[in-house]
Amino acid sequence: MVDAELLKSLEAIVGSARIKTSREDLLTYSYDAYVKEYLPEVVLFPKSTNEVAGILKLANERGVPVTPRGSGTNLSGGSVPKKGGIILCFTMMNRLLEINRANRYAVVEPGLVVAEFQKEVEKIGLFYPPDPGSSAVATMGGTVLMNAGGMRGIKYGVTRDYLLGLEVVLPSGEAMNTGGVTAKDVTGYDLTRLICGSEGTLAVVTKIIVRLLPKPKTRRTMQAIYSRIDDAGTTVAKIIEAGIIPASLELMDNQIIKAVEDFAHLGLPLDAEAVLLIDVDGDPEIVEKQAKVVGDFCKAHGARDVKVSQSEKENEQLWVARRSVFGAVARLRPTCIVEDATVPVSMLTAAVKKIREISERNRVQIAVVAHAGDGNLHPLVLCDIRDKEEMARVEKAFEEFVDYALSLGGTLSGEHGVGISKAKYLAKQLSPTVMAMTRAIKKAFDSKGILNPGSFLEYAE
Amino acid sequence: MIAKELQDEVYNCIKCGLCLMPCPVYKQLCYESAAPRGKVQLIKHILEGKLEPSANFNRILYTCLLCETCTVNCPSGLKVDRLLKAMRAEMVKKFKLPWQKRLLFSLLSGERLLPFFMQWGGSMGNLLMGLAPGGVKVGTIPFAKLPRLNKKPFREQVPEVVTVAAPKGRVLYFTGCATNYLYEDVGRSALAILKRLNIEVILPQGQMCCGLPIFLAGARESALGNIRKNLELFNREDVDAVLVDCATCGSALKNEYVHILEERGENADAAKALSKKVMDISQYLDKFDLKGMLKPLPGKATYHDPCHLARSQGIREEPRRLLQQIPGLEFVEMAGADVCCGGGGTFQVDHPEVSAGITGNKVRAIKDTGANLVASGCPGCRMQIQGNLGEEAAEVVHPVQLLARALK
Ligand SMILES: Cc1cc2nc3c(=O)[nH]c(=O)nc-3n(C[C@H](O)[C@H](O)[C@H](O)COP(=O)(O)OP(=O)(O)OC[C@H]3O[C@@H](n4cnc5c(N)ncnc54)[C@H](O)[C@@H]3O)c2cc1C
Ligand code: SF4
Ligand code: SF4
Repeated sequence: MVDAELLKSLEAIVGSARIKTSREDLLTYSYDAYVKEYLPEVVLFPKSTNEVAGILKLANERGVPVTPRGSGTNLSGGSVPKKGGIILCFTMMNRLLEINRANRYAVVEPGLVVAEFQKEVEKIGLFYPPDPGSSAVATMGGTVLMNAGGMRGIKYGVTRDYLLGLEVVLPSGEAMNTGGVTAKDVTGYDLTRLICGSEGTLAVVTKIIVRLLPKPKTRRTMQAIYSRIDDAGTTVAKIIEAGIIPASLELMDNQIIKAVEDFAHLGLPLDAEAVLLIDVDGDPEIVEKQAKVVGDFCKAHGARDVKVSQSEKENEQLWVARRSVFGAVARLRPTCIVEDATVPVSMLTAAVKKIREISERNRVQIAVVAHAGDGNLHPLVLCDIRDKEEMARVEKAFEEFVDYALSLGGTLSGEHGVGISKAKYLAKQLSPTVMAMTRAIKKAFDSKGILNPGSFLEYAE
Repeated sequence: MIAKELQDEVYNCIKCGLCLMPCPVYKQLCYESAAPRGKVQLIKHILEGKLEPSANFNRILYTCLLCETCTVNCPSGLKVDRLLKAMRAEMVKKFKLPWQKRLLFSLLSGERLLPFFMQWGGSMGNLLMGLAPGGVKVGTIPFAKLPRLNKKPFREQVPEVVTVAAPKGRVLYFTGCATNYLYEDVGRSALAILKRLNIEVILPQGQMCCGLPIFLAGARESALGNIRKNLELFNREDVDAVLVDCATCGSALKNEYVHILEERGENADAAKALSKKVMDISQYLDKFDLKGMLKPLPGKATYHDPCHLARSQGIREEPRRLLQQIPGLEFVEMAGADVCCGGGGTFQVDHPEVSAGITGNKVRAIKDTGANLVASGCPGCRMQIQGNLGEEAAEVVHPVQLLARALK
């Protein structure tokens, strides 16, 4: 579909250094952090809105698929070229354009890496809270299009909550601005938030305006170890009931504890059923008070050991356990799939126990971490993608878990997106009417269906 | 063929991408084939027979500093650098190294090195280097800023055994090519400090280049002679330690000899025994309280972590502690002290623009500290940093040189 003539026109737009067509280069854009792979025909690295517009116009005229891409760390197959065609990769369009202190907002290009951006704003006492576990590599564009969450979700929300405006290019090649720089804005439909989380299926984002907060003055970390996971669940409920909003509230199950201990030797008891890691942040006096209350709750509700940090250094030491989770677990088996169905907070520990039951019955190895404060579970499924029989059991366990989460009023995906990984479950959650509306919206943006085709709306196994 | 367990490594890559931004080369180039993930996935395709090991792949494979940052950061525990090194060795069988590298490595692996350097170093070498027109560069380094060769190889300037009256210890000293041919002051400094500590030092004659630059480039066969000779000379029972002043040599003697012999299916017992005795000079000196023998040395120093010390050997604190023992010397950390300097073997010659970008960051970090001294235990890093920093800005030295200057 991408012929020599089109290649020539594309090269004329980006120049020879920012177009890749060798087999080797194409192969390195055939994957993201999900398991399925598809080969693109050409990879382009635009650096300006004009270039993006020119590329989309050409592709649209010829009906060539375009799949936008940031760092390719999404876990649902969102940035692989399901139908071939063009990969539009934003890693070279990565400037921080403006930090406005007076109005506390910033303007960035989509390829800027989240952690690099956070480092810059924190230098001047500001704060950009969305903090997915991949922040050191994920791009601002990728996180906006996935509406990424992370560990600070319970107090600070997700990417969407910081988005003020966008500059986007439609598949037709027309550019438009949505939203603006003001914190309040009700003029017209909220297209900004519609595009946020659309997984690159509606429009290509070329500029992002985000809201910033003042950086919290201090934070305190607590670690509570439980013999019974139910006690951890009660503690979480009590903290929330008491009106305290921790900055993070993470839960690790027994499988995770064992893996982390084995890997990092932190002295975690191997027989513990759960560990909670809790951060409170803000002004020192308030943090002081809250840390005490939270610590007391943990003890009162069955924690057998509670540690409260006394300094930033100790905060970091306590976080080592949580930060090592992915590394400790991922190395146990060749493949590690991160699931992320989400349930109402009050059902969290019930869900963890259900996962245990599903994993044992299907003989699938699953370890669970959770953003406990917002019911967002991350069962880490350990397997070997080369083993067909095992993968069938994994598939079955997934399906059972998805059904369970939906039966509680939960959702298929809390933050990792649908992509192709969960496309087949979509109809379980969204009614035919919602699906029809969603398709109509897609059509309005992308009448020819060139943008990220084969993604959740049209995915077929 | 690549060893079985290394081949299996490719299936442990979960494609998470966490290795992208920490990779200094990817950070400059921003496209996937420059990143560890891209390289690992391409190797997987080659091993599965789905991709030809093409010239283009070969170029991609060498667009890498072998800085080991990916290995240290990989959550899945992939030994990325070992996979890349093994793949290089496979590729060398297919695509010969360019003639310049063949020449260099045949010099490093042969006896011919000595006469060659004697000629070049003692007579016309330095003269010619001085005459080179100002604009000429080797990689990123202007010709005139390359270090001058020692007039005479260091090991010929000192006796084979440096005795002391009542020895408190006895060590072998592996001087490496850099100290022997380029940085004699490092060798002299090391000997001066060891002498003050009453340690007897033996510098075995006939020691050869450690071989690491040769096998990192993929030419493993050529390095075997070096490995065998060095094992024969240094695997001795009658010494406390085998000291090295070069991060790369240390990593070769500690880790790579064992890997290479094992991957070839050869007996690695001697290499393992040697590995236990090898110590970087900073590690060895760190055991002593030097304060009493040091006088104040005014100035402000910062420290750059060489890849082959920080990541290959896990040595980070020892050199810093040594510097902090020197009275009067102010110590400051630079930002990103353990980020690769961009030198990486012959990388800076093959990829001058990428290298310049990476080194540019390093130079900026150094200048931001306002230090007038930069210490680093790797001759490659020192050459790369000094060559790009300029002598006016700061002097780049081995930590032992500062210690020796401060000796009472
Ligand atoms: C170890 C690890 C931990 C993670 N932790 C979290 C977590 O805690 N929370 C969380 O929410 N996610 C997490 N993720 C998932 C992932 O990092 C996020 O989805 C992230 O937002 C993806 O960013 P990216 O730059 O890699 O985008 P990509 O993966 O490249 O793309 C993501 C989607 O956005 C689209 N896209 C990208 N850029 C543009 C653009 N400029 N215009 C239009 N569309 C675009 C793509 O087509 C694709 O559909 C994690 C992933 C890993 C590997
Ligand atoms: S960090 Fe490791 S597992 Fe992740 S992509 Fe890189 S090599 Fe693969
Ligand atoms: S060794 Fe260094 S340069 Fe090479 S891929 Fe790994 S991180 Fe990048």
